[in-house]
Amino acid sequence: MRFIVRRLAFYLLAFWVSITLNFLLPRFMPGDPVTRMFAQAANKMQPHQIEQLRQLFGLDERPIWQQYLTYVQNIFTGQMGVSISRFPTPVSEVIGSQIGWTLLLGGTALVIAVLIGNLLGILAAWRRGGVLDSVFPPILVFVGSFPYFWLAMAALYLFGVVLGWFPIRHAFDAGMTPDLSWTFVSSVATHLFLPALTIVLVSIGGWMLGMRNTMIATTAEDYILMAEAKGLTNNRIMFRYAARNAMLPSVTAFGMSFGFIVGGALLTEVVFAYPGVGYQLLAAVQGLDYPLMQGIFLTITAAVLVANFLVDIVYVRLDPRVRVS
Amino acid sequence: MPHSIRKSRSAMALAAVLTGAVLLAGCTAGGNAIDTSGDQLLTIPREDMGTFSRNFNPFTPNAAPMTQQAVYESMLVYNPADGGTTPWLATDWVASDDGLVLTFTMRDGVTWSDGEPMIAGDVAYTFELQKELLGGFDYLDSVEADGDQTVRFILNRPYSPALYEIGQQIIVPQHIWKEIDDPAKDTNGTPVGTGPYTEVTSFQSQSFDLGKNPNYWQPEKQKIAGIRMLAFAGNDGANLAAVNGEVDWAYQFMPDIEKSFVAKDPEHRQFWFPSTGSMINWQLNTTKAPFDDVNVRKALSMAVDREQVTDIAMNGYTSPADCTGLSGAYTTWVDADIAASCDWTNHDVDAANALFDSAGYPLGADGTRTLPDGSPFTLDISVGSASSDWLSAATIISQNLAEVGITAKVDSPDWPTVSASYEDGSFDTGIVWSNNAPTPYQFYRGVMSTDTVKPVGEKTFENYHRFASPEADALLATFAASSDPAAQTEAVNGLQAQFDADAPVIPLFAGPEWGMFTDTRFTGWPTASDPYATLSTKSPTTVLVLTSLEPVTK
Repeated sequence: MRFIVRRLAFYLLAFWVSITLNFLLPRFMPGDPVTRMFAQAANKMQPHQIEQLRQLFGLDERPIWQQYLTYVQNIFTGQMGVSISRFPTPVSEVIGSQIGWTLLLGGTALVIAVLIGNLLGILAAWRRGGVLDSVFPPILVFVGSFPYFWLAMAALYLFGVVLGWFPIRHAFDAGMTPDLSWTFVSSVATHLFLPALTIVLVSIGGWMLGMRNTMIATTAEDYILMAEAKGLTNNRIMFRYAARNAMLPSVTAFGMSFGFIVGGALLTEVVFAYPGVGYQLLAAVQGLDYPLMQGIFLTITAAVLVANFLVDIVYVRLDPRVRVS
Repeated sequence: MPHSIRKSRSAMALAAVLTGAVLLAGCTAGGNAIDTSGDQLLTIPREDMGTFSRNFNPFTPNAAPMTQQAVYESMLVYNPADGGTTPWLATDWVASDDGLVLTFTMRDGVTWSDGEPMIAGDVAYTFELQKELLGGFDYLDSVEADGDQTVRFILNRPYSPALYEIGQQIIVPQHIWKEIDDPAKDTNGTPVGTGPYTEVTSFQSQSFDLGKNPNYWQPEKQKIAGIRMLAFAGNDGANLAAVNGEVDWAYQFMPDIEKSFVAKDPEHRQFWFPSTGSMINWQLNTTKAPFDDVNVRKALSMAVDREQVTDIAMNGYTSPADCTGLSGAYTTWVDADIAASCDWTNHDVDAANALFDSAGYPLGADGTRTLPDGSPFTLDISVGSASSDWLSAATIISQNLAEVGITAKVDSPDWPTVSASYEDGSFDTGIVWSNNAPTPYQFYRGVMSTDTVKPVGEKTFENYHRFASPEADALLATFAASSDPAAQTEAVNGLQAQFDADAPVIPLFAGPEWGMFTDTRFTGWPTASDPYATLSTKSPTTVLVLTSLEPVTK
């Protein structure tokens, strides 16, 4: 229990530091939202519109410490304000309409990559020098080191454009209304396949190698020898004895990755025109949309911290040593 | 070897699952048969919005696409492609002799999409709301509705460009908007307008459909069933959809369009890039030496090979500017005598060298020029890194300048940083857009009027190069005060002469308006031979296209 309280205190401090940075960093960038909008629109906006937009947005011109106080107060009352780049849509609505797709894409890809990657790692380490061990790591590392943008474009072009197996954009067909019918769900699934596949392809190598390496160290432990001497089945030793202990670093990494999912997958969203938070964040940063940026960063921060906290708790369950120290 | 059996079994199971998923997915992805039922939706990509928000509030800058084009309408539509003006919600307008009263006669029988009649009071209310929410129109004293058909705009000073600014303001219904508590923050999810396609039949974050306005005032022109907008987070996705033939009309930049787009189906696909965008200039900060010297500006201009700039940097999609600065959207205003007689926009290295020499910028033994005080003649060209076309224009200019002994460095941080240096006047030189409006008034005002000049350090959003000409001020005032075409032409001719004499900016080329279409599903597009509108999907002229297209039926 004391462990959990101590961790909780740490997370509160980390939360305060990150929301403060979150507030300060955007304000160090040059320009303000309206002049950025003007620069991006290039010749499409007239100079007199700048004053008009300032008036419309009601930009906060108060001293920065007052803005900070309001900002902290708003966070705790759950008010994230109105987005500037998507004025007048509230920030919570902008994030809310996108986060589901981000979680679906990021979550699916992460779970698949972790499951398959770890499984491959376990098997490869168990049969060191076998086919799996000598063929898969180089291939996966090779694929994983492709620039993601290139890989995604190639997959889109090959499977989407040339072969026509998969749709080349969006989360479901235009004109559909989300419901729980088979047509809608299958449309979502086919649209999800290519984006998720490319993320899995580039990330799976890291999971496999990480798992393989810890697994090799674990299989050298005395208790594995002991288990073999007792005559336990290979399967039991591999999964219950070796893999369970080798899994700890993977669990940490999984927790971290899970927290970061909510930041979105920018390149995937751009290439496959998939909805998500990543592109919103990019647009918010480019447009100096403070409220939206703060809202997204806050969501990411909270998700990372919560995920880490959960990992800490799971750790207590998985690794008895943590409970003692 | 017990392990290897298990291993290969699980690998096989994995392979089977993956293959199954691929096949399943492959079966359900449908083909693209061309829909010619007559009910097909006009499909348009939007390349700069990764997702849409259901916001049809026309007063907000990022309203859903088509808010200003298909849902709401203005009193008149100006078409930069042929210079014509089409009466729209108003049938007629007249300015008083002193230029202080503009009277619009509203069209009879126009109704809002909810069936209420549109009246002059709606127009007066719209301007009241526009001024309250956004300000602007500071030359406007009051707007009065006289009965249901007539609106009078009372100006506090004669200002002829007002006609287009007022005429192109979109009009909203008073009976809806007066009920809204905070019109600036209302998302207006179910809009009521006078436009041809007002009914939101489906709205998802990446696509939405607009259906026919059931009470449109020209139902014979609603030939297409509706509009479908698709969201894309960048040009690549939108271009791919266009190349694949999945959209009918697109308005984003596509490199090498002849080969990548038209060649796929030359019978049906076309593009048209009229040079109706704003004049793109090389702006020299005239508060800094040596750019305050008109001879330096003209010599620099002669060193630039505009043919190379337009052919290479702009893919040949536009043509070089002349020394009136009016070669794009304002060709009808160009004074042919001035355009023919001046030479400082022609590429001429010898003349540039001679002018530099005589102006006191000698060429040293090492082949580089120096300023009169002996320091080397170098300059920076700042361009936003996102604009790859302008960036290569800057690179070409820098190569051209090397031929006359000047070292130019291309500086390309992101746009906000670049424009911040333009705004406070700390930049050297940059490639910059200019004001674009129906008449050349705003263009000349933005490049050489005194009242747009701010001191260095104080922010400005036009006349970044900070050049003022009292002679131009007088001519601009004459233009604004007069609604007589002959007097206006005379004033613009004077401004052209002034521009030619002062070279306040170095005009490079007129910006092309992108636009491409395929006529497999819809016909009746504007083209170079029938320029009834541009191919822009974001302009006031868009409604002209929407009310001209016809679906292909088989």
